[in-house]
Amino acid sequence: MVNPVLLIVVPLGLAFAIPLFALFWRPAVKYIPPAALVFNLVVSLLLLAKVLENPLIVSIGGWRPPFSINLVAGPVGVLFSAIIALVGLLVSVYALDYIKEGPTEKYHMLYLLLLTGATGVVLTGDIFNLFVFFEILCISSYALVAYLRERSGIESAVKYLIQGAVGSSLLLIGIGLLYGLFGTLNMADIAQNIRTVSPISVFVPMVLIVTGLGVEAAIFPLNAWLPDAHSSAPSSISAILSGIAIEVGIYAVVRVIFTIFGAQSFLLFLALLGILTLLVGEMCAFSQNNIKRMLAYSSIGQIGLILFALALATSYGVTGGLFQLVSHTLSKALLFLAAGYMIYRAGSMEISALEGMGRKMPLTCLAFTIGAFSLVGLPPFIGFPSKFLIVRAVLATKEIIFVTFLGLALLGTVIEGAYFFRVVQVLYFKGEKNNLGSKEAPVTALLPMFVIVALIIVIGIYPKLVTDVLSSAASELLNRLDYIRNVLG
Amino acid sequence: MSFLNSYIYYIGSFGLIFIGLYVILIKHNLIKVIVGLGILDTGVNLFLISVGYITKGTAPIFSRPGIDSEYMVDPVPQALVLTAIVIGVAVLALALSLAIRLYQHYGTLNLRKIREQRW
Repeated sequence: MVNPVLLIVVPLGLAFAIPLFALFWRPAVKYIPPAALVFNLVVSLLLLAKVLENPLIVSIGGWRPPFSINLVAGPVGVLFSAIIALVGLLVSVYALDYIKEGPTEKYHMLYLLLLTGATGVVLTGDIFNLFVFFEILCISSYALVAYLRERSGIESAVKYLIQGAVGSSLLLIGIGLLYGLFGTLNMADIAQNIRTVSPISVFVPMVLIVTGLGVEAAIFPLNAWLPDAHSSAPSSISAILSGIAIEVGIYAVVRVIFTIFGAQSFLLFLALLGILTLLVGEMCAFSQNNIKRMLAYSSIGQIGLILFALALATSYGVTGGLFQLVSHTLSKALLFLAAGYMIYRAGSMEISALEGMGRKMPLTCLAFTIGAFSLVGLPPFIGFPSKFLIVRAVLATKEIIFVTFLGLALLGTVIEGAYFFRVVQVLYFKGEKNNLGSKEAPVTALLPMFVIVALIIVIGIYPKLVTDVLSSAASELLNRLDYIRNVLG
Repeated sequence: MSFLNSYIYYIGSFGLIFIGLYVILIKHNLIKVIVGLGILDTGVNLFLISVGYITKGTAPIFSRPGIDSEYMVDPVPQALVLTAIVIGVAVLALALSLAIRLYQHYGTLNLRKIREQRW
């Protein structure tokens, strides 16, 4: 029997061991994050089979749940921790050769801390603990955005830090108000008592918490930091920020709204925010000339689509939203990883500088193209079944407002297709025909890229591999009474 | 007056929170913005403490006979504030070190002049 606490404790301990290791044997330091994440991936997969039957509740210190900090390893938590460990592992393998300059041991320590924070957020059952893990995630990502110490990196890290710090203060005020109302910080306990107070006094903490988490989740009016931070971080960090950090933010928003507050009337507003986020992100992405900024804006668009699907709050809708989340994590990580070496070889982030890359780095460009096609939603890649599930879920609601929103979302997808196809065209069909003999990316970069490519194609052809897990995760999010009963017993 | 007496901590803490937000939104100098973040943090911490505070209460660890439980201050918010202070220190330290780097690159801390990246 594996204890879910290990998912947090082992990477946290190893993260703080990295500076000590660096004193004695510096070259070995970069192998610690992959080792820790292999461990996390194995533990998560072992747990996943078990928690599909019933969720594991771990109380820390031996006290019963309302009085202790507890971890809730349900299908949602373990699914997310498996995704975090998988993508984190692949990106850390990529970083073995990619991160050469600067204080590398600090990079690896912060990287592992970031993933520990993300794992903690998805596993915890205590709202203040969620805040603490969220801060671990945020502070390490502020520092990692500034890792290269360039002008743009520092500037965007400052912007990100100021907005993130204000967001976390709002989150903390909301938590304080909830504690004042209920005298407990346990999410299940708050959820059980939420109907005992007047709706208006619950509304203020809910708005504060959703706003605070929304900064990290990059929901529309709160996402000014994202394109700067994601485009000026090192590419391996952009992959993690786009693939994991904002998804964890979305998870936290959804967990708070669905489980703690059970706020059905708030969902339409959330769907509207999702559609606005989608349209703003896709339209800004269309007008970018910098490839990493384009990918960053495309992340905003995808987050909007995920939020819209989750806000449907039907079984299909939430399954589709989580499926889209998985597909975005894989595709966007792949795109940033491939773009990292393309930028490195081209020496510029301008899309026009990538002309003819398809002949110079055929494998990297193939990976980029597959990522782009998957994100747009072409079969047989993973983006197709996930978007298809969302469309089906929206049509099943038979509500005119959601169907209208769906029309706007499909418009967003068309724009998305337009800018991704433009990049693919530049890669393959522009530039002079002769081969300049430019090098392919190293094996440590190609290996993680092609593992993701394999996953994208396999799940795209056979979506049944993940839909069972996703639908039980969706039912955990939707059935708040089951959640309360599981935790409080 | 009784209103003031019973809500003075909340008024004070939200006063600090709004002063902090005002400074963050209005000031152009990065150091002043960081000071604003500090004031905001202090306000939030004071608010958390006042949620569990009882006038003339005592810490629950001094539980000698003769003290009822309603004269004991709730210890949970104080534990929360300890954590929040540590987090706040980390954020402020990181912000100040970024401010040093920013000054090295741009020669100014005026955020209105540092605008190379835009939508």
